[in-house]
Amino acid sequence: MKLELGYIYIKDIQFGETSKVENGIIYVNKDELKSIILEDQNLKSVEFDLAKPGESVRITPVKDVIEPRVKVEGPGGIFPGMLSKVETVGSGKTNVLKGAAVVTTGKIVGFQEGIIDMTGPGAEYTPFSKLNNLVMICEPIDGLKQPEHEKALRFAGYKAAAYLGELAKNITPDETETFETLSVTEGMKAYPELPRVAYVLMLQTQGLLHDTYVYGVDAKRIISTLIYPTEIMDGAIVSGNCVSACDKNTTYHHLNNPVIHDLFEQHGKTLNFVGVIITNENVYLADKERSSNWSSKLAEFLGVDGVIISQEGFGNPDTDLIMNCKKIEAKGIKTVIITDEYAGRDGSSQSLADADVSANAVVTGGNANEVINLPKLDKVIGHINYVDIIAGGFDGSLHEDGSITVELQVITGATNEMGFNKLSAR
Amino acid sequence: MVITNNDLVNNKYKDLINIKFIDGNYRDVLVFARDKIHEGYELLTHPLSSSVKPNETPFKSLIISDLKGELNLDSVIVIENSIMTYDKFNKVNIRFNEKVIGDFKLIDLTVLESALNI
Repeated sequence: MKLELGYIYIKDIQFGETSKVENGIIYVNKDELKSIILEDQNLKSVEFDLAKPGESVRITPVKDVIEPRVKVEGPGGIFPGMLSKVETVGSGKTNVLKGAAVVTTGKIVGFQEGIIDMTGPGAEYTPFSKLNNLVMICEPIDGLKQPEHEKALRFAGYKAAAYLGELAKNITPDETETFETLSVTEGMKAYPELPRVAYVLMLQTQGLLHDTYVYGVDAKRIISTLIYPTEIMDGAIVSGNCVSACDKNTTYHHLNNPVIHDLFEQHGKTLNFVGVIITNENVYLADKERSSNWSSKLAEFLGVDGVIISQEGFGNPDTDLIMNCKKIEAKGIKTVIITDEYAGRDGSSQSLADADVSANAVVTGGNANEVINLPKLDKVIGHINYVDIIAGGFDGSLHEDGSITVELQVITGATNEMGFNKLSAR
Repeated sequence: MVITNNDLVNNKYKDLINIKFIDGNYRDVLVFARDKIHEGYELLTHPLSSSVKPNETPFKSLIISDLKGELNLDSVIVIENSIMTYDKFNKVNIRFNEKVIGDFKLIDLTVLESALNI
């Protein structure tokens, strides 16, 4: 399966009378987009705002971040099973508005999290401070229950991203990049000398604000399965989770999965990137056993020499991570795991809630308990009074001068376990 | 058997399934479960389910087997590790309002229901 991504580099986003993309600038007709979003009868109102790199702006509480993309050639549409039909995506051509994103905010529940600072020390911890963001503040109709509210907000984000993406359909990209996955037999013939490597992508699947969807299916209900990496680039996997924002994969992370990009980078040079195994992180322990049995079985079936496993979240998923690692290693396949740490504010506590001797190659995304001071910024988009009651916030987090003292876990993407962040130890 | 300190769970399921309601905090639920596991009950759901951290939400529901068997070592390891993890979090002293308390209960309920398959 072969996909060409066409990057249209975005340097600014503005509101305008006609929605269009011109000379690297996105112009958004607010009213037109508003009418599309408000087709959902569960939404009472929607407001739009812009947040650009370097501005003194704090966005909170962030629910999802989505990169605008559009299918230009090939079967299916972006976000299959959600916005588009369930046709298999991942081949042909897709255009990307690189440097832009849609950010959804909303107070689905009273305790909230997810901060994106566009400037200052907080901006260094989130990749989304570097983007030209269209921020959506959606309000539900009165009396709407939290699960329906969550769904409405999630879909509003996809629709806005698809709307922006559509503006790029007929634009010639500034740059293109091609990604191809051969069939198992073709790959073995093409690269007989290279080690065969698969990627095990763990998806958060526990309940409200803790879910992920694959072609529209709640990933709690899947057993581990195979997916082409390019399907993920077309939005086959989307995020419905945001609690503990530092190590949750937004839809943007899935679309731009750095493990996939780096494996493709080395594909045909130092390794043969065979494909992606997706698996879930359910609460039920028997589900964990079943899913890790299947991911290890699929790795064995593919005949790979090595596997990279990325986690999503903390605590409960630590058990899935270690089960995957242990069972895949037991099949004689080398593993590297990517996780993050809750090692206490001084970093001296046990990092994970589970461990095993076979987990002997570990990459960390950083310590989510690390404390950071974020200065007052001139403008807040969203609801700052919630900062006291977010994960990693605590009594007195919000100071009188408007600055906040929080743990890194409040910052969207700060300790991302795909490695889409800047924290590292060298 | 569901062990919970969440009255939303208790009220919804007490007439439908086997529930032990704990009039206590998150840690009390873990400790009660640990004691049962040492008696030979099997742990069925992960005690650290949900990404809402143990020092934030006051509520916890988990499931153990209805029947007692031989000591299940995997269950012992998971519950003991979970209690150690619980204890390492800095405790917060925030007085949550009723809305937030209700939301914590709801999240705990949905996470439990993802395992109950109801």
